[in-house]
Amino acid sequence: MSPALSAEKLVKLFPGVRALDGASLRVEPGSVHALLGENGAGKSTLIKILTGVHRPDGGRLEIGGDANEVHLDSPQAAARAGIGVVHQERNLVPEFSVAENIMLQRLPTKGGLLDRAAVRAEARRYLELLELDLDPDRRVRGLPVSQLQLIEVAKALSMDSKVLLLDEPTTASTPSEVDRLFGIIRKLRDGGTAILFVSHKLEEVYDLCDTVTVLRDGVSVLESVPLAELARPQLIEAMVGRAHTVTELPERPPSDANPTLELAGVSTSDGHRDVSLSLHRGEILGLYGLVGSGRTELAKALLGLSPITSGSVRVGGKQVKIHNVREALKKYRIGYVPEDRKEEGLFLEQPVSRNIAVAMWDKLSRRVGGVSAKAERQLADEYVERLGIRLASTGQLAGELSGGNQQKVSLAKWLAAKTEILIIDEPTVGIDVRTKAAFHELIWGLAADGLAVLLITSDLVEMVTLADRIIVMRDFHVCGELVNDHVYDSTSREVMELIHADAPE
Amino acid sequence: MTLLVGSPHGTTPTPPKPPKRRTFGRIAADQRVGLLALIAVLVIVFASLRSAFLDEQFVIFPLLRDISTLTVVGLAQLAVLSIGHLNIAVGRMAAFGAMFMGISYEMWHLPLYAGLVIGIAAGAGIGALTGVIITSSGVNSFVVTLAMDFALLGLISLVYSSFTTAAAFTVKPAGMNELRQYTLADVCVGDLCGSGAIPQLAIFTVLALAVVGYLFSRARAGREMLFVGSNPVAAELSGIPVHRRIIGAHALSGGLAALAGFMLAVTSGSFTAGIGSEFMLPSFLGPVLGGTLLTGGAVAVIGTLLGTSLTQVIRQGLTMLGASVESLSISLGAILLVALSFDRIRHVITLRKAVPR
Amino acid sequence: MTSLSTLAPRAVFRSTESTLAILAAAGFAALAIASDGSLLSGSSLETLFTYLAVPVLIGLAQMVALAVGQMNLSVGALGGFVAVAAGSVMAHQGVPAWLAVLGALVLGAAVGAINGLVVVLTQINGFIVTLATMTILTGLQYEVVGTATLSDYSPGLRELGRTSVFHIPVIFLVAIAVAVALAVYLRRAIWGRRLLASGGNPLAARLSGISNNRAIILAHCLSGLLIGVAAVVTLASAPGVNQSIGGDWLLASFAAPIIGGVALSGGAVSVTGTVLAALIVRLVDVARAQFSLDPSWVNFVVGAVVLGTVVITHRRGASA
Repeated sequence: MSPALSAEKLVKLFPGVRALDGASLRVEPGSVHALLGENGAGKSTLIKILTGVHRPDGGRLEIGGDANEVHLDSPQAAARAGIGVVHQERNLVPEFSVAENIMLQRLPTKGGLLDRAAVRAEARRYLELLELDLDPDRRVRGLPVSQLQLIEVAKALSMDSKVLLLDEPTTASTPSEVDRLFGIIRKLRDGGTAILFVSHKLEEVYDLCDTVTVLRDGVSVLESVPLAELARPQLIEAMVGRAHTVTELPERPPSDANPTLELAGVSTSDGHRDVSLSLHRGEILGLYGLVGSGRTELAKALLGLSPITSGSVRVGGKQVKIHNVREALKKYRIGYVPEDRKEEGLFLEQPVSRNIAVAMWDKLSRRVGGVSAKAERQLADEYVERLGIRLASTGQLAGELSGGNQQKVSLAKWLAAKTEILIIDEPTVGIDVRTKAAFHELIWGLAADGLAVLLITSDLVEMVTLADRIIVMRDFHVCGELVNDHVYDSTSREVMELIHADAPE
Repeated sequence: MTLLVGSPHGTTPTPPKPPKRRTFGRIAADQRVGLLALIAVLVIVFASLRSAFLDEQFVIFPLLRDISTLTVVGLAQLAVLSIGHLNIAVGRMAAFGAMFMGISYEMWHLPLYAGLVIGIAAGAGIGALTGVIITSSGVNSFVVTLAMDFALLGLISLVYSSFTTAAAFTVKPAGMNELRQYTLADVCVGDLCGSGAIPQLAIFTVLALAVVGYLFSRARAGREMLFVGSNPVAAELSGIPVHRRIIGAHALSGGLAALAGFMLAVTSGSFTAGIGSEFMLPSFLGPVLGGTLLTGGAVAVIGTLLGTSLTQVIRQGLTMLGASVESLSISLGAILLVALSFDRIRHVITLRKAVPR
Repeated sequence: MTSLSTLAPRAVFRSTESTLAILAAAGFAALAIASDGSLLSGSSLETLFTYLAVPVLIGLAQMVALAVGQMNLSVGALGGFVAVAAGSVMAHQGVPAWLAVLGALVLGAAVGAINGLVVVLTQINGFIVTLATMTILTGLQYEVVGTATLSDYSPGLRELGRTSVFHIPVIFLVAIAVAVALAVYLRRAIWGRRLLASGGNPLAARLSGISNNRAIILAHCLSGLLIGVAAVVTLASAPGVNQSIGGDWLLASFAAPIIGGVALSGGAVSVTGTVLAALIVRLVDVARAQFSLDPSWVNFVVGAVVLGTVVITHRRGASA
C-alpha cells in the first residue's frame, strides 16, 4: 500500500542555519505515526513545510502515493492537497456555530444562500464520528478547550484529508481529555486515516503510536521504526544523540558560598508548584526542560510579570517581592535575556547604541541636557568590543545585524546595566555553530567574572558544556537536580531519565 | 577584564561590510531638506503668479499665525504617535482646555497667562485621564480617544450652554488682543526690530518645538516613549515604565492641544465650543508629511513644522489663485493619501533592510 | 492555550439585545406617561420615527465596517456628497427620481469600495484612509452644490418622504427593511458569513481559504451602499440638501453600534442591537425636548454612555 504521505530528504535553509538537512518521513494509511525531536531538531520547520507555510529548498513531497508529487505554496494548497492540520493554538471563529466552523472552508449553498440544513447535517456526521455530543448550532465561544480541539479535528476531517496532522495536541489537556482524544484517534486509525502525531511526550507516543520518526539536527535519525521494536532508552538516545563533544573550557574560580538568589517552595498563578533553587555568584545554574515545562514562565514570574502565589524569593539573603522588571533591575540587579530576541529583547528599528544603553538611561541622564549621546556611544562601544559584535557603527539599526550579533546586543544591554544576576533564556537558538561556541565562552567568562547566571536552555550539549549544576523541570515543577560533570553521555542520560520518568500520580 | 571573544575553532570569516544603510535620522534629514525645497519652490511659484502672496501684513502674517497654531496641533498628535497610539480627541481636548481658559477669564477674572496655564493643565489632565483608561483597561487608544471625544463633546457643549450666552466666553483678558496682532516688529532691541511678518504667537510654537524636540532627542522620558512605540513588550522587559510613559504621552498631547486651542482662540477672538473642530486633519497631515511614522518609534519634530508649513502654503496659494476653501479639502485629502502611501513604502523599505543576514 | 471564552470577554449578545429592548420599551413608556399620552399621538409618533431613519442607517453603515475591524470616518461626508449629487442631477438635469436614487446607491457603494481598496493596497489603518477620503468628499460636496440649498427636485420623492402608513413614515419602513435585508445577508449569504469570519478571526479565515482583503473591501462597499440609502432618505425627508448635510453624522454613526454591543475589534455584529440603540438615543432626544432640557444634555449623556460601554465591555481585549 502506498503511503498517505511521503517526505523524502527535505532540505530547508535559513540565513546561517540549516534547519532541515535531509529529513524523511513516511506515514501509512491506517496508522498513527509519531514525529519526535528535541528543540531545534527541525520539527517545527518540517511541520511548516507540510502545512504550506514554508517551501523546501530540496527534497520531495508526495501525497497519496508515488508520482503524486506536490508543491505546497500556501496553507490552502496544503489543505486542498489533503493535509488536515490541528495546530497547537486554536483557530476558530468565536461567534460562529460549531457546524459553521467545521464547514468554514466549503460552506454548502442552496440557491445562492447558505444552506443551513446541509451545514448542520454535514457537521453532525463528523461530530458523531468523533463522539462529540454538541449542538451543531451552538456558538463556539465559551466551549472548553478540549472540545474546541475536537471541533478542529472535525474540521480537518471534513476536508477529505488524507493525512491528519496533530501538533502537540495534549499540551494543555487533562488526563481524561487525553484519553478521550486518543480513543478518537484510534477509531480514526482503524477507519483507515493516516495520522501524524507530533509530540514531545514519550509516554503518550508509546501509548498511542505505531511507528516513529525521530529528527535530530535536521536529519531523520530514525525513520518509520515500529515502536514495538524500540526500547525507550534507544529512543531517547536517538533523540539526544552523541554526535557532539562538549567544549572544554578553562577552570573557573569557585562560586560564592552564600546564595545570591534563592527560591523556596515557590508556586505561581501560571501553575508552578513548589519550585526551589539557589543560585550563587560566579555560578552557572542550568534550568533544563522540554517545551512547556514552565521555565520561561518561572523567569517571568521572578521578574514580577506574573504573580507568585506562595513560597519565598530571597535576593542576597533578604526576602523580596518583585513587582516589575524595572524593580528587578534597579533594586535587585536582576536581568533577563529573553528567548525571543526579536519580539522581546530588541528594538529592531532603533540603533544598536540605544539598544545597548536603554537600561542605563537613567544613569546616563544629566540634570540639564538629558541623556548624553556621547556617553551612550561610549557605553555601547565598550560592550561592542567586549562581546565582539560585528557592525559598521553603533548607529546601525539593530534589525540589520545577523542573528548572532543581535543576540550579543540583547545580552550587552544587561551587561551594560551592570546586573549581578542574569537569567539567560535559550541564548543560541537559531545561531550557527561557530557563534554558538563563542557565546558559550562568553557566558563562561561572565560567570568567571562573578556574575550569577541562570541558564535556561533546551540544548543538552550547551547545558552540559556550561552548567555547574542542572535543575530539571517538567510540567511546571522541579523533578530533579544534579551536579554536572561536563561528561555528555552520563549527564545527558541522567537528565533525560528525569524528564521521561513516569509521572507520579 | 577582557572577556574571551572570538572562536578558537579556526578563523571566523569576516562577514561582508553591511550595505550603506540609512538610519531614520538620515531619511528624516533628507525629508526635511526635501520639504524645505518644496516649500521654497511653491512660495516662488505662488509669488510669481500673485505678487500679493508676499504681502507681509495681509498674507504672510496670517499665514505664519496659522502655521504656528497648526504646528502645535501637529505636535499634539505627534506626542501619541511616538508611542504608536492615536488621539482622535485632539480637537476636543483643545476645546476642553480653551473652555477652562474662558472660564478663568470670564468667571474668575484671571489674567491672560494664568488662564493659559490653567487651560493647559486641564488639557494635560484630560489627556492623562485618557492614558489611565488606556493602561488600566487594555483597550486600544483609538477606541478610548474616540469615546473620550464623544464624552467631551457633550460635556463641553453642556458647560457652554449653561454658563454662556451664544456659546462663547467673550471676556477678553488684557493682552489678548495685543497677542493677536503683535509681531516681532514690536519687539525691539535698541534700533533693531524684528520682522513684521512674524507673529508673536509664533513664540509659543517655538517653545513647544523646543520642548518636544528636547524631549524626544535627549530626555530619558522621550526616548523611553519612542521605545515603547517601537516594541512595547521589549520595553517592558527592558525596565521601561511603560504605563507611566503612555499616560505621559497622552497628557502631553492634551496639554499641547490646549495650547493650540489657546492660540486659535486668541486668533479668532473668543473661546467657543467649536474650537478644535477643524484640528483632526491637520493633526495628522503635519506629522505624516514631516516624516513621523504612524506605527510609533520615530518622530520628526521639525518635520512637523515643515509639513504644516507646506500644507498651509499650498492652502494659501491655491486660495489666492481662486480655489474655494472647500475645494482645498480635496487637495489636502489627496495629499494625505499620497503621503500615507509613501509612509507605507518607506516603512516597508526600512523593514526589508532590517532582514538579518 | 487560550480558551475562546477569554478571547472576547463581553456581555453575551442575547442579553445585550434584551437589555436594550427593555430599556427602549421602558423609556418609551416613561415618556408616554410623562407627556400625558401626547407622545402616542399620530404626529408625535411620526416625528419620532422620521428622525430615526437616518440614525439607523448610518449606525448600520458603521456597524458593517466595524464587523471587519475597520472604521469608516467618511460616513457623513459620503452621505452629504451623494445627497447633493443626486439632488443636483434631479434638480438641474431633470434626471428622473428612480434613476437618481439608483445612481445614489451605486455611487455610495462605489466610493465605499474605493475606501476598501485603498485600505487593502496601502495596508494603512482604515481610520486614516477614511479620514483622507472624508476630507476629499467634503470638498467634492461643495464643488457640487456650493452655498446653495437644493429643494426643487422630484416632488414625487419628497411626497414619499412625507407619507406614513399607519402613522409610521415610509422612510422609516425603508430603513427597517434595509436593516432586515442586511441582517439576512450577514446570516445567510456566503460572503456575508465570510465577512464576519474574517472579522472574527482573520487567521482562521485565512486558513480556511477566505480572502481577508476581499472581506475588507466588501465591508467598506456595503458601508457605502448603506450611506447611499441614508442619502436618499435625506433627499426625501429633508427640506433641502446643501453643504451641511452629513456634517453631524460621524459621531452619531458610532454611538448606535457601540451602545448596541458591536465589538470594535470585529467579528460580532448585532443589527437588532444597533437599531435598538439608535432608538434609545432618539428617545433621549425626545426626553430632552419633553423636559425642555438643554440640547447639550443629549450629547453628554450619549458621550458618557459610549465611554462607559467601551471601558466596561472591552476590558483586556485588544492591546494598545
